[in-house]
Amino acid sequence: MLWLLQSGVMRVSEFISFIYSNLDTAAVATYQHLYLSFGSVLLGMLVAIPLGIWLTDKEKLAEKVLAVTGTIQTVPGLAFLGLFLPLLGLGVVPSMTVLFLYSLLPILTNTYTGIKGVSPALVEAGMGMGMSPRQLLFMVKLPLAFPVIIAGIRIASVYIVSWATLAAFVGGGGLGDPILTGIMTADINFILMGAIPAALLALTAGWILGIVERLAIPRGLRG
Amino acid sequence: MGGILTLTVEHLVLSAAGVGLALLVGIPLAILITRYRAAAGFTMAVTDVLQTIPSMALLAALMIYLGLGNQTLVVTLMIYSLLPIVRNTYTGIISIDKGLIEAGKGMGMTRWQLLRMVQIPIALPVIMAGVRVAMVTAIGIATLGVLIGAGGLGAPIWRGMQIVDSSMILSGAIPAALIAIICNYGLAKLENAVVPRGMRVSSPAKS
Amino acid sequence: MVKFKNVVKAYGNLVAVKNLDLEIPEGELVVLIGPSGCGKTTTLKMVNRLIEPTSGSIFIRDRNVMDLNPVALRREIGYVIQQIGLFPNMTIEQNIDVVPRLLGWPAEKRKRRVYELLEMVGMEPDIYAPRYPNELSGGQQQRIGVLRALAAEPPLILMDEPFGALDPIARESLQDELKSLHSRLNKTTIFVTHDMDEALKLADRVVVMNQGEVVQVATPETLLRKPANDFVASFIGKNRLNGESLQSVVEIMLPDPVTVYPQMGLAEGLALMKRKKVDTVLVVDGERKLVGSVAVETLDRERKRAKTIGEIMDQDPPLATIRSQASAKEAFDLIVGEKLKYLPVVDEKGVLVGLVTRNSMVDALASAVWGDEGE
Repeated sequence: MLWLLQSGVMRVSEFISFIYSNLDTAAVATYQHLYLSFGSVLLGMLVAIPLGIWLTDKEKLAEKVLAVTGTIQTVPGLAFLGLFLPLLGLGVVPSMTVLFLYSLLPILTNTYTGIKGVSPALVEAGMGMGMSPRQLLFMVKLPLAFPVIIAGIRIASVYIVSWATLAAFVGGGGLGDPILTGIMTADINFILMGAIPAALLALTAGWILGIVERLAIPRGLRG
Repeated sequence: MGGILTLTVEHLVLSAAGVGLALLVGIPLAILITRYRAAAGFTMAVTDVLQTIPSMALLAALMIYLGLGNQTLVVTLMIYSLLPIVRNTYTGIISIDKGLIEAGKGMGMTRWQLLRMVQIPIALPVIMAGVRVAMVTAIGIATLGVLIGAGGLGAPIWRGMQIVDSSMILSGAIPAALIAIICNYGLAKLENAVVPRGMRVSSPAKS
Repeated sequence: MVKFKNVVKAYGNLVAVKNLDLEIPEGELVVLIGPSGCGKTTTLKMVNRLIEPTSGSIFIRDRNVMDLNPVALRREIGYVIQQIGLFPNMTIEQNIDVVPRLLGWPAEKRKRRVYELLEMVGMEPDIYAPRYPNELSGGQQQRIGVLRALAAEPPLILMDEPFGALDPIARESLQDELKSLHSRLNKTTIFVTHDMDEALKLADRVVVMNQGEVVQVATPETLLRKPANDFVASFIGKNRLNGESLQSVVEIMLPDPVTVYPQMGLAEGLALMKRKKVDTVLVVDGERKLVGSVAVETLDRERKRAKTIGEIMDQDPPLATIRSQASAKEAFDLIVGEKLKYLPVVDEKGVLVGLVTRNSMVDALASAVWGDEGE
């Protein structure tokens, strides 16, 4: 028992001094990772949210689009990267492209179902009093669907931060780099240098967005 | 070509093994926490955190302690399959109408009979959904197995990337993508098939 | 004000509204009533083009609704629905001033209007304006729903079973409120319901519909006395007997109840009651507004302690009263239901106009059942 504790403490201090002496590598990798994750989710939002809104009154089409994004979701990350390699080469571009594609489904589904889920009585009341479809969307539907949309962004973000580690395979940088190095050299310290920040980032993103989600609930709906 | 087929089968077997182990561990665990709800929150939180760890990282970390090879991969796959399976089994069982439980108990069913004859059959589609998600995720993670000396379709992809040989990459990537899509589709069908006959939403009559 | 000319609405083979010809005069509260599926709601929704007619035309003040922009049209028509539909993400104030906002009214004007409307229905603006719908009861919410429809001062209001989702007490209270609002504002209102009591209580004119057609158009009184056919008669049902000669509570009340002022002394009060041979008196203030009541036993008991009636009068819990616009049946129901001995009748300002006692009620009923047979 004591031996375990001792070796544990040794391991941790070993790791800390390792990080200390390789701070720049760690920092760069973290920065790249944030850049990749943030960027892809942002792009995903820019595409999926308007698309989700546009699809709300086109059920048949929506079904098909959701099926397509669903299928995209199932493709293994490495396979995707491999598929895009001949087209997009190496670096940040293919990495962000794949991550962007992965972020689509959660955000699209939640935007679509969130808006569709608004009570029909409210839609009738709004239309009946003379709201144009655009006014109905901005004054009623979006505020009410907001928490659900944020939940979708949250799910996508946590997912993307985890999978951004794959960027290392195509030279996109990020926290996958130290992990890969660690695998090649069988050095646990490198692995941890990538793994711990990545896990922490994912958890933090989930936590922060969870708070945003709760704050996004319109005041009239709380409690 | 034959090589690819072998790899594909290997890939499927490894994924299934991981999911299978998760089922062996996860379903009893989930059933346990439906009884001891206090533990439920904790268990869910733990499995949740495990899922957030990037798969490549966990794989690598386990490699250090468990060595190279297929067994490490399968252990990793099992860990990642736990969350969907435990979560779905748990939610599937506790969302069942309490009235049914009461009726069953009132008739004199033992806990075990209730589980076997009522709860699991009704929760089965939800559990299947969890299996489906787990399987698709496992196929995805298994492509990384090549890094730690495991088999599967990751090998041609990885090697192809290193020497920039598109056809080699595709010879791995396309089958991998395909089996993921097919498993997703097939398991979704299975999911629908296990809905108890009396609970099916009947399709509208054709006129 | 609203004219339906040969309007038809068909959904494939199902004809919801057949050849409707109907005219709704300006300023009237017209009720469309009928069993489920008779086409009343479809007819209503064609006025603000939530549903568009298959053929025929609908005119509002001689303008064909199909020639107008639907969104602009709806902003000029108030619309109240059964499910209330207050936007949960907006405050009460924001809910009420939606249409003024859409029309671009200046903020000052909007705020004034919201406050004006809230005061009109006795809801303290400073308290209610910043609240959210989920903090209000169903009855209060629908009150706001009605105010929301009135906010932009539309010339026409459409109401689709607006009180159907409320509990009976709230429903009654809102019906009273609506009747009072209508007599004050005189807005043309088209009201859909399947409840005959509600129709008879509120309508200036009733339109009975069945299977997409109009069966009878008449004032409530005419409808009760001369139903056009068996269908209408059975639809009116049990109201028929009561309705015939006992319409309003005014007909069954005592118009000159014994009243006292709070300043009156106890001895004098006792003497008055003995003289008039009553065991309870109503206490009113200088404007003849009802403030309380007092029974003979109380007077007797407190004679040593108190000096004036005002000190010992009964004001609790609020005194059960009934409005003068109410029907005799309502008075009957209240007295029987609440086991009251008497029921003061007041007008909207709270001024006492009469008193219904069990005796006065029995007298009136007797004369209805066995009394004037002639019509």
